[in-house]
Amino acid sequence: MTEYIKLIDLTKCTGCRACQVACKNWNDLPAESTGFTGSLQNPADLSYNTWCLIRFDEIQNSSGMNWVMRHDACMHCEWPACVKACPSPGALVRTDTGAVVHDPNYCIGCKACIVACPFDIPRYSAEQEKIAKCTLCHDRITDGRKPACVTACPTGCLTFGPKAGMLAKADARALEVQGVVYPRNPKYRTNVLYIIPRTIDVAQLQHTNPNPKMPTTILWWKNLFKPFTLIGMGAVAGAAMLHYMVRGPHEPHGPEKKEGGE
Amino acid sequence: MGPRKRKGVNDMSAKKQGMVYVTTLQERIVHWLLAGSCLFALLTGLGLMFHSWDFIPALLGGHYAMKWMHIFSGVVFAFALVAASVMWWEHCKFVPDDLKWAMQAGGYLWDAHDLPPGGMYNAGQKLFFWTVFVFGIVVIVSGLIMFNPLAVPVVLARWAYMLHAGAVMVIASFFIVHLYLGTFGNPGTVQIMFHGWATREYCEFHKGKWLADREKKDGEESQAA
Repeated sequence: MTEYIKLIDLTKCTGCRACQVACKNWNDLPAESTGFTGSLQNPADLSYNTWCLIRFDEIQNSSGMNWVMRHDACMHCEWPACVKACPSPGALVRTDTGAVVHDPNYCIGCKACIVACPFDIPRYSAEQEKIAKCTLCHDRITDGRKPACVTACPTGCLTFGPKAGMLAKADARALEVQGVVYPRNPKYRTNVLYIIPRTIDVAQLQHTNPNPKMPTTILWWKNLFKPFTLIGMGAVAGAAMLHYMVRGPHEPHGPEKKEGGE
Repeated sequence: MGPRKRKGVNDMSAKKQGMVYVTTLQERIVHWLLAGSCLFALLTGLGLMFHSWDFIPALLGGHYAMKWMHIFSGVVFAFALVAASVMWWEHCKFVPDDLKWAMQAGGYLWDAHDLPPGGMYNAGQKLFFWTVFVFGIVVIVSGLIMFNPLAVPVVLARWAYMLHAGAVMVIASFFIVHLYLGTFGNPGTVQIMFHGWATREYCEFHKGKWLADREKKDGEESQAA
């Protein structure tokens, strides 16, 4: 299966929220009861039933006040921390399309993925005792279609296609607008990329991680302590057996009875 | 003669002649609560950590059921650890003789000729107690955070997951030492944690100072009676 990339060109987003609505439609997610919080961002945050959200930021930079609309959803990491942390096989899987998909049938609601995620994407429902997040419309893309958000986008801000072509397209577009491709860390690749115009610094935007990476604590947990729990137990068991064969049991009347007994 | 007499170390009315009553019923119950909950939490925890060990969730009714079993065994472990600490705190305080014992590795690795007469617990057992106590608290506190990681800053939650696994690594490895030395490594020991009695010879060898103290106390009590 081809690996795909979703490209989000911030220079083209008008904040129309067609992607947000399309996501709800395709994934059959109920609407939320919300209120006005002083921002056009609505609902205020991602949730169990909102997997894609247009975030509104007002930032100050050299060109004055800028209004930034940003499509925020799962980044579909190539090396996903959520999958690494997940204790239930099949609950979170990175598929060969590049989509990181959750399966509610296997989710046990432990919340480890929420803690592990460098982008703070998965959301928990206490009522369902499960997590949910964007799946890159895995059901659509395996059927040869584009994700619902991309299909709905009227400005060309969201585009989708096979990895190689999209990487070239992202680089070309970044050059064209003198911006950057985010995240551009070669050690931490994602199947969702942003074109960030030069007037905007990622760190100025809400709910972003300027330097995304697999959390070190998750690495220590899964790559060090996890194997060494078994290695430690096994090594000690081996040492104990060796001790038994070499030294024998510790007894008052063993073959090496000490002098000076009563 | 009092209505209820404590079992003396050489109590001839006891059915086990030549045996010494080492642990109380309370100690044994707390010990097995602590050990049982710890082992069950370890088993379910390993089942959650290693996807390839799916025979554990298969036996226990799936990952979701196992999550709750893991949480509840952790709660039992927490209460048992409190009870064990109250019970063994005094016994497990280090004394100068422990250093002497430790310098000779208790006679386990080479022939030791200068071992001090032992108290209720030797330096190794004390070290195991303090290891379980300290790392047990780490496991319990981090486990509490993991129960609702969204209530704390994410950095703290990530540290909790890491420390939970790290502390288990230490306890699980030391547990194997405890298992070996409590059974095959020291014949006559394991029964102390089942019926509570050990041979006099065993106590002289392992717990010389404790035995002398107990006998002295028993002597004083019987004189007073």
